[in-house]
Amino acid sequence: MSEGTIEHMKESFHTDTIYRSEDVPLGCIPPPEELEDTLHGLMKLNGLIIRSLEEIAGRGANAVTYRAGKKFGHEVAKYFRKIDNVEEALEELSHILHGQYTFEAWKPADRASYVIQENGTTFIYLVFHDCIVRQTLRRNGQEQGGPLCQTLFGYVVGAIEEITGKRAKLEIVHTGPNACLKKLILM
Amino acid sequence: MIDIHVDEDACNGCGLCVKDCPMHVYELQDSTAVPVKAGDCMGCLSCHEICPTQALEHRGVYPSRRHYIDLRVCEMLKRVI
Ligand code: SF4
Ligand code: SF4
Repeated sequence: MSEGTIEHMKESFHTDTIYRSEDVPLGCIPPPEELEDTLHGLMKLNGLIIRSLEEIAGRGANAVTYRAGKKFGHEVAKYFRKIDNVEEALEELSHILHGQYTFEAWKPADRASYVIQENGTTFIYLVFHDCIVRQTLRRNGQEQGGPLCQTLFGYVVGAIEEITGKRAKLEIVHTGPNACLKKLILM
Repeated sequence: MIDIHVDEDACNGCGLCVKDCPMHVYELQDSTAVPVKAGDCMGCLSCHEICPTQALEHRGVYPSRRHYIDLRVCEMLKRVI
């Protein structure tokens, strides 16, 4: 690389912008529409990390990511208001996660209640609409339902446990390109 | 409420949507998929992805965010299509 090329490269990093220590950023810099490259970079990075984790840890990868997500869920939800009722807790969580993991409680048409009892278990179906994990996996051509999904599982379980004080478990029922169906099992 | 329409001329009766749908929304009747339980559809759109003849149409589905689509590829496609 010649010196001229380096100078040319350095040129692109020179601006006349003045930063003062008291300046508070009042907006997202750069504007969100310019974030596409960053977003794709992040999705690729996450995909690579998960792929490598699977190569090294095999099936154990799920346990690692689930635990990480659960810890994160507990940490974040520590600051939420405590709610006894699971349905209300889900509504609150759905509101907080809106945009990242937009979800709703769901039931088949012939069910009267969202809380379903079947074969000795009590559960609520959740349909996840917007999901960063799904987007990352599809960006990288990776299968849904693996370790990265487990992070989200852990996160939701951790947050629900923290808010309600009750133990819970999340199971995948189906993954799709536009939404995924999960079962929140109440214990 | 989600409304599902199957293009009867396009459907080849392969039954993939019947097998794939987790809510058992479809049934094969006279070698054509019929959405017998559209009320149970939760809008995952797996059936769209799996249908080889693109015979399906859903109305009233919440379109989830798709930031993974590459805008440059879309721009190129727009020029071609
Ligand atoms: S969108 Fe999903 S739930 Fe609805 S009919 Fe298709 S596969 Fe079944
Ligand atoms: S997958 Fe498509 S072509 Fe096959 S039965 Fe269903 S609607 Fe018809």
